[in-house]
Amino acid sequence: MTKQKTRKKNAKKKKSNKTKRSFSLSMFLFNRYTFTGFIISALLFSGYLLHLNIKITEKMSGRIWSLPSHVYARPLELYQGKYLTIEQFKSELKQLGYTQLTNRPTKAGQYRILNNSHFEIISRDFTFWDGQQKSQGFRLSILNNEISILHKLYSDETLSIFRMEPVKIAGIYPSTKQERQLIKLDEVPDDLVLALLAVEDRRFYQHWGIDPRSILRAMLANFKAGGTVQGGSTITQQLVKNLFLSPERTLTRKINEALMALLLEINYSKSVILETYINEVYLGQNGAQQIHGFELASQYYFANSLRKLRRDQMAMLVGLVKGPSWYAPRRHPKRARDRRDQVLKLMHEQGALSQAQLNKYIKLDLAISNKPRFSANRFPALIDLVKRQLKRDYDEDDLKSSGLNVFTSIDPIIQSQAEASVKRVISQLENSHNSISDLQTSLIVASSQQGEIQAMVSDRKPDFPGFNRSLDAVRQIGSLIKPAIYLTALQQPQKYTLASLLDDSPLHIKTSKEQLWSPQNYDKKFTGDILLAEALKKSRNVPTVRLGLEVGLSDISDTLHNLGVKREIPTYPSMTLGAFNLSPFDVANMYQTFAANGFNVPLKVIREVLNKDGRPLKRYPLKSDKAIDEKAIYLVNHVLHEVTQTGTARSLAKALPQSLAGKTGTTDDLRDSWFAGFSDNQLAVAWIGRDDNSSTGLTGSSGALRLWTDLFRHLNIQSFSPGQPAGVNNRWIDVANGGLSEKNCQGTVELPFIQGSEPTEKAECKSAGIIDQIIHFFN
Amino acid sequence: MLFKYLAVFIMVLLMFTGCTQLKPASVNSVNSILPVTDNVNLPDVIKTLLTKSDTQYFNDNFTGSLATLERAVRINPRHAEVWSRMAQVYLKLGNEEQAIQHAKRSNSVIKNNTQLKAFNNKIISPNLLNKSQEMSN
Repeated sequence: MTKQKTRKKNAKKKKSNKTKRSFSLSMFLFNRYTFTGFIISALLFSGYLLHLNIKITEKMSGRIWSLPSHVYARPLELYQGKYLTIEQFKSELKQLGYTQLTNRPTKAGQYRILNNSHFEIISRDFTFWDGQQKSQGFRLSILNNEISILHKLYSDETLSIFRMEPVKIAGIYPSTKQERQLIKLDEVPDDLVLALLAVEDRRFYQHWGIDPRSILRAMLANFKAGGTVQGGSTITQQLVKNLFLSPERTLTRKINEALMALLLEINYSKSVILETYINEVYLGQNGAQQIHGFELASQYYFANSLRKLRRDQMAMLVGLVKGPSWYAPRRHPKRARDRRDQVLKLMHEQGALSQAQLNKYIKLDLAISNKPRFSANRFPALIDLVKRQLKRDYDEDDLKSSGLNVFTSIDPIIQSQAEASVKRVISQLENSHNSISDLQTSLIVASSQQGEIQAMVSDRKPDFPGFNRSLDAVRQIGSLIKPAIYLTALQQPQKYTLASLLDDSPLHIKTSKEQLWSPQNYDKKFTGDILLAEALKKSRNVPTVRLGLEVGLSDISDTLHNLGVKREIPTYPSMTLGAFNLSPFDVANMYQTFAANGFNVPLKVIREVLNKDGRPLKRYPLKSDKAIDEKAIYLVNHVLHEVTQTGTARSLAKALPQSLAGKTGTTDDLRDSWFAGFSDNQLAVAWIGRDDNSSTGLTGSSGALRLWTDLFRHLNIQSFSPGQPAGVNNRWIDVANGGLSEKNCQGTVELPFIQGSEPTEKAECKSAGIIDQIIHFFN
Repeated sequence: MLFKYLAVFIMVLLMFTGCTQLKPASVNSVNSILPVTDNVNLPDVIKTLLTKSDTQYFNDNFTGSLATLERAVRINPRHAEVWSRMAQVYLKLGNEEQAIQHAKRSNSVIKNNTQLKAFNNKIISPNLLNKSQEMSN
């Protein structure tokens, strides 16, 4: 019995041991897998955290944002005697986003007008190339389109010159089209921070990136409301979402957001997180450009720096964080105002505002500025030129992301006149003849002496950002070549003078392809002998070809290069009639040298580049090159002036009182219509043609010259009056034979000669009739 | 008697102090190289810019000086004095080629200022080995 019991006991024990063993084994196995699984999971999780951490630190330690470069127009210089119309000045102030008041201006960016001609203005601070210019109050009066008074505000102290800050005319954007202006946290007004924290994250300084209390509060509020009415995201979470994550609403993204918020808080101080948020947050849309950050939003909505805003204005900006489109103050002022009031009340609840202050601010209007202080690219052709010139010194990435400030010579006043002229004249031309249609155009305006581009239109629709005809449309230039040929000849005074006789009779030239080329004059007639000066003035083709062949095609090519043309010039006979291609910009470069009396100044549009902090990076100084002898160029310019008096552009003499110089150009089958001309201060090249290179039905005189004239009617132009260089003397010449004559003889003309080259042979003097004598007298 | 000596001593001291203030450390004498004899005929706005440019020049801020002169040229490119000063600044910047070109531009708009023309011709002249130094002395 006992044995049996013992056996049973042993069997039980064995069974128990066996069970125990198998439990221990399974426990062992379970624990091992769990442990391993746990270890692997922990490793994976750590790896993932590490990955997220690297993502955060890489972005935060590098350049967080791509900052677009900004392009500025020329600053408007104000001084007594400057030509400026009241309308032009008003337009400038409007483009600068100044606010017009009826009372005295008290803050920067405000002005008032008294008696429609006296301005009281307080300018803004601005960092120019040569340092910061502090805000200045001044009084300016305009009388008869001239500045008559320029004083300090409420003082009799005269200002001899004052430079307005330049209009921001464009941005060079990264692909995200984000626009922002960075501000440091210590420059952000305390009131804005208070308002922001009161509305978006009251426990910002207490939590570690995520705030369970806020989440619970938001869940409760949402449950009560039956929908999403409140978010529980902290400022850190919002920043993570904006900087690192997509806007989709998934669980994975939410988990990532929480993890990254924690990591961000571990890696960075609260100040860094807040500053980054203030610069990152999206606050509106200006066309294609996204407005990011409070500083830029302040300028966009109030045309003023964040530091200079009132508390109610800051409250409005903070209110926008919830929904920049829904509360957009320009489109939905009521919503924006209600939201602002909510923020103000929250500020009051948090003790940031007293009851009296709350009452006061709630009564105030939004005071949104009329126009944004910056706008999308309004001048696509010009900005294209700016980009091309910048690309010589900066790579594409830097242009789009380094926040460069590019200062240019672009003059918005002249640009708007050029655009208006293009629209007006193209429409007039097309309406005048049924056969004229689909015209395209280019109009370039530069300062004559400094070669600074002031305006450029490259399409009949000036704001159309397509093919840049001014730079890329290479077309035959026709008679625009002629001054270069005559200049080549006149640089040899021992052989050629303005009184040299050229042969205007039929001409037949064998070309290299054994073909016969017989150039024709525009009127299909021949005049026989003609004075060199007359041949240029009347744009005679045949004598020009003869002269060109005589002086040598390669010499003409050299002259063109000396005049500033950079392209290769072909050396075949028909080049003497402009049968080769140049762009309007090339032509402008060429004629600038005539306008500056032989000094070639390569056309440029950029003056200076500053970095995002306003530190000077690069200047593009005025550089000249005495390319052509001033005496020879003086002779050609004398004739180019005659072209506008009695030559192919004689309509100018009636249209404009100032002395001008220029040349018309027309190509075969009237495909291209050109005019290049200048005053003492302004140079412009106009081209009209068709994109398919078919006939326009227009000559240089009937097309481009009309456009040029229309523009110059609206500009402040100074007569072209180059001083006669020493060593140049005037003589009266018989037009028929080029001999020396006298003032009172019939058929004479007064011409300048380089000393020693004057004709010596005297012509017979036929006494002029009484009418001719009277004309001579008045001349 | 003692008072007399003291007065003379103070006067001499003041003269020295005055001279030290007038003479900039960097440039020996700018006035001697910028003969703007018809300065009185220049408009106020140009005079103001020339003064600013001179100050920048005295402070060795040659690029700033050049930028200010360019502002003057934009207002009116017919003042020979401005072009001549630009030539001077280019010399200081070591750009002799542009100094010559700007001196030529000055000559091209000069009217009756023979002194200025002579000054420009010094810059243009190929015989001067070290124009910058010579002009400053």
